[in-house]
Amino acid sequence: MKEFSATINGSPVTARDGMTILEVARENGIDIPTLCYSPELTLTGACRICVVEVEGSRTLVGSCHTPIAPGMVIQTHSPRVLDARRVTMELLLASHPEVCIVCDKANMCDLRKIAADLDVGLPRFRLPKHYFPMEDVSPYITRDMSKCIQCWKCVKACSEIAKKNVYGIAYRGFKSKVVVDFDDQPMDKEVCRDCGICIPFCPTGALCKPSPVRQAKTARPLVITGTAQQ
Amino acid sequence: MPEKRIVLRNCGVLDPKDISTYLEKDGFKAWQKARTELSPEQLIAEIKASGLRGRGGAGFPCGLKWELTSKAPGDEKYVVCNADEGEVGTFKDRYILENDPFTLIEGLAIAGYAIGARKGYIYLRAEYHYLLDLLTGAINQARDRGLLEQFDIEIRQGAGAYICGEESALMDSIEGKRGEARYKPPFPPSRGLWQRPTVINNVETLMNIPQIILNGCNWFSQMGTERSKGTKVFSVSGDVQRPAVYELVMGSPLRELVEGLARAKAGRFIQIGGATGRIVPYEMIDTPMDFEHILGAGSIIVFDQSRDIVDIVRRTMEFLAEESCGKCTPCRQGTRVMVGILDKFAHGQGEERDIRSLEELSSAMMLSSLCGLGQAAPIPVVDSLQRFRSDYEARIRKN
Repeated sequence: MKEFSATINGSPVTARDGMTILEVARENGIDIPTLCYSPELTLTGACRICVVEVEGSRTLVGSCHTPIAPGMVIQTHSPRVLDARRVTMELLLASHPEVCIVCDKANMCDLRKIAADLDVGLPRFRLPKHYFPMEDVSPYITRDMSKCIQCWKCVKACSEIAKKNVYGIAYRGFKSKVVVDFDDQPMDKEVCRDCGICIPFCPTGALCKPSPVRQAKTARPLVITGTAQQ
Repeated sequence: MPEKRIVLRNCGVLDPKDISTYLEKDGFKAWQKARTELSPEQLIAEIKASGLRGRGGAGFPCGLKWELTSKAPGDEKYVVCNADEGEVGTFKDRYILENDPFTLIEGLAIAGYAIGARKGYIYLRAEYHYLLDLLTGAINQARDRGLLEQFDIEIRQGAGAYICGEESALMDSIEGKRGEARYKPPFPPSRGLWQRPTVINNVETLMNIPQIILNGCNWFSQMGTERSKGTKVFSVSGDVQRPAVYELVMGSPLRELVEGLARAKAGRFIQIGGATGRIVPYEMIDTPMDFEHILGAGSIIVFDQSRDIVDIVRRTMEFLAEESCGKCTPCRQGTRVMVGILDKFAHGQGEERDIRSLEELSSAMMLSSLCGLGQAAPIPVVDSLQRFRSDYEARIRKN
């Protein structure tokens, strides 16, 4: 494979043909946040959190889907990039329910982690919150579409890994939503059975394993201690 | 400068239902000339030399697009005619299709020959469903007369989505998928329809092709300005006495079109290029209409003193929010935020910080949206804030 060099944040990097900007950056220890990207799935380019600045380009480019080219000069954390990422994050948070404290994924939520990393707190912008009833009928998966940020990783995981095509996308614009069937019933075991492949792909608490009701806790109880006590 | 009808030369002259009226008037002569006298490479060189640029709004050099597609490796290639004329205030393609479907078919067939495609598509917008029979008839007549040898044209109908006029969403729609913008690169000339090299041209672009072949690239490149050759078809509407389709040489002043032909009385501002187009104050009426200045898809909407710019920008944004496909965050969420803010201004409830929010949001959307819709959606907001800021300030709530 042909090797060539490019520049990321002022330092020379070596890239190979067919690599994306994101892949080269990560190989060189530069962390670019992503929400809709997963190395196990085909590319989407929807979330726009991974945008970077490429010299000579009119707009910022999505690093997850843009192939790196010889001599490319890239900035991954310039003020222009961070400003755009912050606005995108604030837009996502503006319609995301503020229920982190009772959310199953609160401590492993990519959305929250990236928001914290970008120093985004309360969003500047106002949007109506999405409200959809909790879909907790299925014994295999609980869906809370109010929390969905439309990265579509569940759609892709279902069709590309599980080969099931349970999910689809319906409606458009702000109303667009990941749906099951014709969006006329909650996700239940009739359509999706004992798989759960999509759950770990979800960057928010929209997809969770059903909470274990009436089961004995086998692991040690989780005790959160602050550093001050140690 | 009076009107110069090159693209529209046959409109109203021939019978759109009868191909023999077209054949009497140099019909398919360019196609014959291309196939007998020119190799595909010479043909592409001719189009490149003519300086023809895409008429759909972006102005990408047509010859270059053909060349890239023709050189791209692939066993199957496609030509697509974008007849999803969705931009607000454009109706030129409709007028062309209604009156002269044959030149379009000839242009499409020539494009197919140039890049080595065996199949062409016409993507017809849902609202032009009534033209389906006319177009199918025109294609069948051409086929019956042996004018579509080794090249087949199929019409695909849209379902009413604005986004499907964006080339990558258009291809998804033809493929039978949900119409959504794709990330670029890859661009259509390398991987387009069904991941095969594809040329996508606007109706008006293809209408120019037969004339360039017949009259030569020099004839064409003599018209217009340095970087915008030929003529442009404009759709003029709004507060004018004679709203219609006009064709002018590139570089003609806006005044010629708006006051000379459409007979506008002094207006307040003009929206050029549709919902995502530029808003210019009426004082800029001497601006030349070409790619170097302002052009877009050629939609000109004139607004007089009685019109409220904040309300017009709000309604434009409502349209864009409705038509956003919902794929990328800045466009899906950002247009909706803007509708909320503009609503406040329209009701006299704006706040000082809302103007700042609009500006910050605009710049982020323009920089990071996935496709042209999201990148251009803030343009009316940015333009109106720059030139008519006092209209916004007057709507700030006073305590």
